[in-house]
Amino acid sequence: MFKKILFATSATEACDHAARVAFDMAQRYNAHIDVFHVLGIPTRGYSQVVVDVTTGEEVALDDNYRDLVKEEIRTYYDHQIEKTENWSIDVAIGLPHREILRIARLMKPDIIVMGGSTGASGSYAHKKIVTGSTFQRVAKAARCPVLVINRPAASFWGGFSNVVFATDFSDAAATAFDFSFKLAHTLNCEFHIFHALDITRIQMNNLHTQDYIEDQIRKASQQLRFRYVSRMENFKQYAMAVWEGIPFVEIVKYAREKHADLIVMAHNTHKTEDNDSPLGSVAEQVILRANCPVISINRSVGKK
Amino acid sequence: MKKKILIIEDDPAVVDYLTTLFEDNGYTACSAMSAQDGFELAQKERPDLITLDLELPDEWGPRFYRKLSSDKGLKNTPVIVISGLSGNKYAVSKAVASLSKPFDRDELLKIVKENID
Repeated sequence: MFKKILFATSATEACDHAARVAFDMAQRYNAHIDVFHVLGIPTRGYSQVVVDVTTGEEVALDDNYRDLVKEEIRTYYDHQIEKTENWSIDVAIGLPHREILRIARLMKPDIIVMGGSTGASGSYAHKKIVTGSTFQRVAKAARCPVLVINRPAASFWGGFSNVVFATDFSDAAATAFDFSFKLAHTLNCEFHIFHALDITRIQMNNLHTQDYIEDQIRKASQQLRFRYVSRMENFKQYAMAVWEGIPFVEIVKYAREKHADLIVMAHNTHKTEDNDSPLGSVAEQVILRANCPVISINRSVGKK
Repeated sequence: MKKKILIIEDDPAVVDYLTTLFEDNGYTACSAMSAQDGFELAQKERPDLITLDLELPDEWGPRFYRKLSSDKGLKNTPVIVISGLSGNKYAVSKAVASLSKPFDRDELLKIVKENID
């Protein structure tokens, strides 16, 4: 399931939680992990003078400097690397999201692992209500699933055994289902299929009766059976639920209630392949708030 | 009858410290250094309270808590998370308290007292 992991890191504290999960996955699933760091952005064009993203200083780039940065990363992750059999470190210069997508196209990883935005902390969501721009851009364009760990508490699980697949019934959600079901099946996980009925939208113009809301819940449950359960053949370790409320709140609550160690969901599902559109806010808010890692899948994942 | 506290912690020095602290304050203490041993001991001893380290040799704390909450006889046992990891406060959402190492012994005893005395 996970044989090649691309761990995109700033090699700072902001990525420590992601590192915990990425290296644990590499060790647990015998995967190769490539620790990838974009060390600087050229000051202009193809200049060899770059602004180091960690220190903010302008440096002249040569092989010695690259080796020095690699060595620093090796030292930073020494504790985890010494327990990992199959690893490599790569550095690049350029805009982080472009370079991550570039190496992902070359390496074809099974998954990209990323941390929260640089400087993100537990209270990050209060200060800023969007995820990091590098993550947004990578998640929108990546041809493989992207796993994000924003809160430290999301990194204390160790492996996947209890997966929540949250769906909004979109095309991208169908791709997310294929991936999450394969993962649950392969790793012998408990599999929770969940839909959050958005009553904020229903109630925008008038207050609906509880009968109406419960009719919608029943319809959504039928959809879960029709779209997903019918495709699971003899797989029995599943549960399904529809909760009404604010979607991102309900998804985070449901995952917490079920002690989920992974949430899989599609994002940007109401948009077309428009590179300027922001990441779907439900996925973004779940990523910011979840107590477990979140895998985000766009509609191009798995397509050639 | 003395109340029983199960300490799940892989650092022997912390285990010794907690055992002495609890016993000196009128509790009975037992301990396990792994999640597996901790769960078996919890089933056998039915403790009144559990202190739980997050990073154990065989399992992470949240996963242990998930197992504990699926056991009918243990699911309501109060758990205090004691860990040196940042973010430990949010790791086990139903824990009665989370303390960071090094912790204040009086604060710990106060939490224990509030929950089982």
